[in-house]
Amino acid sequence: MIAYVVRRCLYAVLTFIGITIATFTLIHAVPGDPITFYLSTHLRPSRPALEAIRREYHLDRPLVEQYVYWAKGVVTLDFGRSTLDRRPVSERILEKLPNTLLLNFIAFLLAAMIGLPIGLWSAAHSGRALERTSAVGFFLLYSLPSFWVALLLMQLFSIRLDLLPLFGMTSDEYPTLSALGQLADRARHLLLPVVTLSYAQLAVYARFSKAALTEVIRQDFITTARAKGATPAAVMWRHALRNALIPLVTLLGLTIPSLISGSVIVEAIFQWDGIGHLYLESILSRDYPTVLGLTVATAIVTLFASLAADVLYAIADPRIRFGEGRR
Amino acid sequence: MWSVIWHRFKRSRLAVVALIYVAVIAIIAATASFVAPFDPTTTDLAHRLAPPSEHHRLGTDDLGRDVLSRIALIVGSFLGAIAGYYGGAADWIVSRLIEIVLCFPFLFLVLGIVALFRPSLATIMIALGLTSWTTEARYVRGEILRLRDLEFAQAARASGARDSRIIFRHLLPNALAPVLVSASFGVANAILVESALSFLGVGVPVPTPSWGGILSVAQQFIEYAWWLVVFPGFAIFTTVAAFNVIGDRFRDALDPRSD
Repeated sequence: MIAYVVRRCLYAVLTFIGITIATFTLIHAVPGDPITFYLSTHLRPSRPALEAIRREYHLDRPLVEQYVYWAKGVVTLDFGRSTLDRRPVSERILEKLPNTLLLNFIAFLLAAMIGLPIGLWSAAHSGRALERTSAVGFFLLYSLPSFWVALLLMQLFSIRLDLLPLFGMTSDEYPTLSALGQLADRARHLLLPVVTLSYAQLAVYARFSKAALTEVIRQDFITTARAKGATPAAVMWRHALRNALIPLVTLLGLTIPSLISGSVIVEAIFQWDGIGHLYLESILSRDYPTVLGLTVATAIVTLFASLAADVLYAIADPRIRFGEGRR
Repeated sequence: MWSVIWHRFKRSRLAVVALIYVAVIAIIAATASFVAPFDPTTTDLAHRLAPPSEHHRLGTDDLGRDVLSRIALIVGSFLGAIAGYYGGAADWIVSRLIEIVLCFPFLFLVLGIVALFRPSLATIMIALGLTSWTTEARYVRGEILRLRDLEFAQAARASGARDSRIIFRHLLPNALAPVLVSASFGVANAILVESALSFLGVGVPVPTPSWGGILSVAQQFIEYAWWLVVFPGFAIFTTVAAFNVIGDRFRDALDPRSD
């Protein structure tokens, strides 16, 4: 077990180096002087000022040395300063992070709480008319472009019915509201973004858990359980479900990047002040340090999450830790 | 083998409808400049924000472009084949590469690449290719791993065929079916991503119409021109759904356990 965890950690270190090299290469593959990354496009600094900036970012050093400096910064969460307001990138990320976490966490819970039971139910009732219809339904749900759904929801609930706010995180009169009123105001603003973010995830979870349980049901030990006379309910709950839940652990690592991707679109439409919104804004204003900082930071978070998922998986399923090396 | 697959595929009426739909869209996209009554890049001021009674067509060239972006399929299949066939160091390197790419949020990477290298059709295609080859690589790797020790591969090896011949003539054609499944899902995904990019204003430069671009403009008129929002979105949705249904049905048709 310890050997497996150590090996996974070593892989994670390698992947981390790969992530930084990939990002660094991306900066330097762009035609033109890399110094343009660190300068706002409206600025035309004098030659000595340019040299000073060059030194600040070690751009006067050989490429390998530049990489080492940059990677050192990444390890200590120092991604340089934003070209927009010269504030440290990590500070800007950290102040937006809670908003994104709130939105994504609620969306994740909602999607998992609805999607997983439906998926397990579908596997148990595979082939029935209702199950087939719901499978097609999920497929269509999954194919809906999220920005379109967002626009339709806004059209219906905010413009036609005038029930919910069009966008933003709080109303203008938020500071004057009572504590309970503030909570209600936040909830009203959260509703449409959460729905937009969670419906596609819901379809993914339903499909994934259905596949996991179907795979287990096909195995010999389930036939054995049935043959020895266990009731269908006992077979499902005692034997199948436990084993089907194990692969779901891997979803933990896989979900984070796709949630963040979805966040970019949802936050842009609903003017939600999170890191997805920050990313798009930085792209549009060519604030490259922020773009690169966010990219590397999210990749590292994903790396940790998938490392955690792998270790959990190995704890839950002994075949993984002993069978590694010849998968 | 293919006739069996087609026979199973046909059993789903929905999938056949989806296939016909995709074919029609593809023909419209290819012949758009002859079919469309209006030049899509000129503005019809008189009919600005007119309701959908107009003859303005729904489609654009999204489709052809997204199929092109499946060049990733070749790269992915190649790397997957090498990894699956040789195992060991080659497999290790390809697996680590896939791991690295999967760590990045897909949309971050695509947005970043497109913005860094100026938005154009070519950059979008390259960005999609760089990020989506991993799916094919994983599929092909698994298939080749399964196929490489079967009798026909051993026979080829025994008769003195070179590795490259075994991989490209014997193994890859047999691994093609699952690749087509992932390609179908891949096209669906590519359409979604491309329209999202255009919607966010980082996609194809403005005069070229695309479904996402129309929606981006429509957002500004959301209070009084609902049809601008509904129809382009519906076009994206039905096309994506069609590709997803085809991919799903195809996957079931390929699964030997489905009978």
